[in-house]
Amino acid sequence: MAALPRRIIKETQRLMQEPVPGISAVPSETNARYFHVIVTGPEDSPFEGGLFKLELFLPEDYPMSAPKVRFITKIYHPNIDRLGRICLDILKDKWSPALQIRTVLLSIQALLSAPNPDDPLANDVAELWKVNEIEAIRNAKEWTRRYAMDN
Amino acid sequence: MSAESDMEYSDNDGDDYDYYGEQDDCDMETVDRSKSDPEFFLYSCLKVEEVEKLLNESIELLSNSLQITPSLAKVMLHAYGWNAQEIINKYRENANEVLVYSRVKPRLPVGQANSSRTNCAVCANTPLLHKYSALACGHYFCNDCWAMHFEVQIMQGVSNTIQCMAQDCEVRAPEDFVLSHVTKPTLRERYQQFMFKDHVKSHPQLRFCPGPNCQWIFQAWTREGARRVECRGCELLTCFSCGAPHHAPTDCATIRRWLTKCADDSETANYISAHTKDCPKCQICIEKNGGCNHMQCGACRHDFCWVCSGDWKTHGSEYYECSRYKEDPNLANDSQHAQAREALKKYLHYYERWENHARSLKLEEQTLASLKSRINQKVMAGEGTWIDWQYLWDAARLLKRCRYTLQYTYPYAYYMEVGPRKELFEYQQAQLEAEIENLSWKVERAETTDRGDLENQMDIAEKRRTTLLKDFLEFNTNNASSSTKV
Repeated sequence: MAALPRRIIKETQRLMQEPVPGISAVPSETNARYFHVIVTGPEDSPFEGGLFKLELFLPEDYPMSAPKVRFITKIYHPNIDRLGRICLDILKDKWSPALQIRTVLLSIQALLSAPNPDDPLANDVAELWKVNEIEAIRNAKEWTRRYAMDN
Repeated sequence: MSAESDMEYSDNDGDDYDYYGEQDDCDMETVDRSKSDPEFFLYSCLKVEEVEKLLNESIELLSNSLQITPSLAKVMLHAYGWNAQEIINKYRENANEVLVYSRVKPRLPVGQANSSRTNCAVCANTPLLHKYSALACGHYFCNDCWAMHFEVQIMQGVSNTIQCMAQDCEVRAPEDFVLSHVTKPTLRERYQQFMFKDHVKSHPQLRFCPGPNCQWIFQAWTREGARRVECRGCELLTCFSCGAPHHAPTDCATIRRWLTKCADDSETANYISAHTKDCPKCQICIEKNGGCNHMQCGACRHDFCWVCSGDWKTHGSEYYECSRYKEDPNLANDSQHAQAREALKKYLHYYERWENHARSLKLEEQTLASLKSRINQKVMAGEGTWIDWQYLWDAARLLKRCRYTLQYTYPYAYYMEVGPRKELFEYQQAQLEAEIENLSWKVERAETTDRGDLENQMDIAEKRRTTLLKDFLEFNTNNASSSTKV
């Protein structure tokens, strides 16, 4: 494998030395481009109290291309589908090489605080979120309790 | 009166016949054709070099009159849909606004925080001072990172719209900036190819011929209604407005709906709905493949009646009873099935005819080819000259043209609302169809048909075609209706 670019080394070091509150990102022992991520559910959101596992991979042309991020823990959210794929502009067309792993994970945490049912990935969830927000939030809490709190 | 219109009509024929051919007509004929041919549309078919020249003229005009680099002129022309005059006027009023709108300059002036020239935010390295560069927004990054950024973007097919690397910065990198960082010859070439394609696509007067591997480009001045353009290279007929195959009398939106409908599997769904029912016991989908209405589910072996979905046991000899009790709970279900079946029947009616004419059109093409070689043989054998046999060739081409229009009347009719207008349309369609079949018959037996008879048939078929187009082609009817309203 090619040598790890300085940028990735620096980002990793900083993630370990000054971690973002509520987020842990640890590179895999066998692949320095693959990160095990845990995001805690933000306060005052239906995901509060949950620990959500994600995987993050830095492709070959990172940072020219966006990292690939996916939820592993099941989550009831209008912008995250059954497979854990995330609908987030900075992971797609709004990616800029000046963004970092840190900023990406912060954006994901913000997405948990502020779901956007008008730009849905999981259509059924978004639909319910729009017509009956109370029930949608109840579902999200229930899923958080069931899937994100067991350990 | 009738003599006059006949006169007028036969006058048209001469130039009608070659309107599928080269654009070598003089202005006189152009004027005539615009009156007689309801599909007449002024356009030209250009080579890549000609289009490059045309684009370069706009670029030069803009860069000369505003004293800017050609590369900046390209960014601005791309943003303003190649309207150089508009840019010049607006630029004289408010240059800053034009530059911001074209994304040459940032909306807001950039602070110093983002423009470090001692540390590259992208690679986290600290190359020497002179190795940094920035766009007008002042976001400095090291040249290696710029080069990598451009490489990734070009590989993804982005050209005119490559942006600055800074977050949320929408300033676009002009050609000279990109090329000053990209050194690989293949990559530079790729970039310039994408630029050209992008320029043509963003130019309201240009459209690539959609033919496979076709390099020709159409130029025209309207993008509205069904507008026929024919490629000089591959002879494909295209609608300049929407890029679909030419589709008069159907309009652009309708042909898109029709082609999507034919391509997607919505009709499969209709078929399933019309020809299948769910087993009342295990809900598996069952297709009826025989006449008998006593059904046995292949999965759960439940016996039931196809007509009323009731248990077959209760039927026995009283089978015909179930057709009388239509007000059952199954009624709603059944009427849905009936509706789906009806919709399918309607679609298939139009689709079969559409397909059939498409197939005939292909065969007509073969007739055309064989006719050409037969005429050549005759000419070689000394039986007259090409001029003597030209009428046969003309007849076959006219037949092809009529058949083409006929094919595209079917999507139009499919989406038409029932009413007197649809009746009129279908009447004219039927007339056209009948005359086309007559003509087709006569063309296939051309050598034994009387020439006068054949030419008469050509007149009739073409007249039917132009009448239908005059009455129903979108922009003609729009004109007609607006004039009646006034």
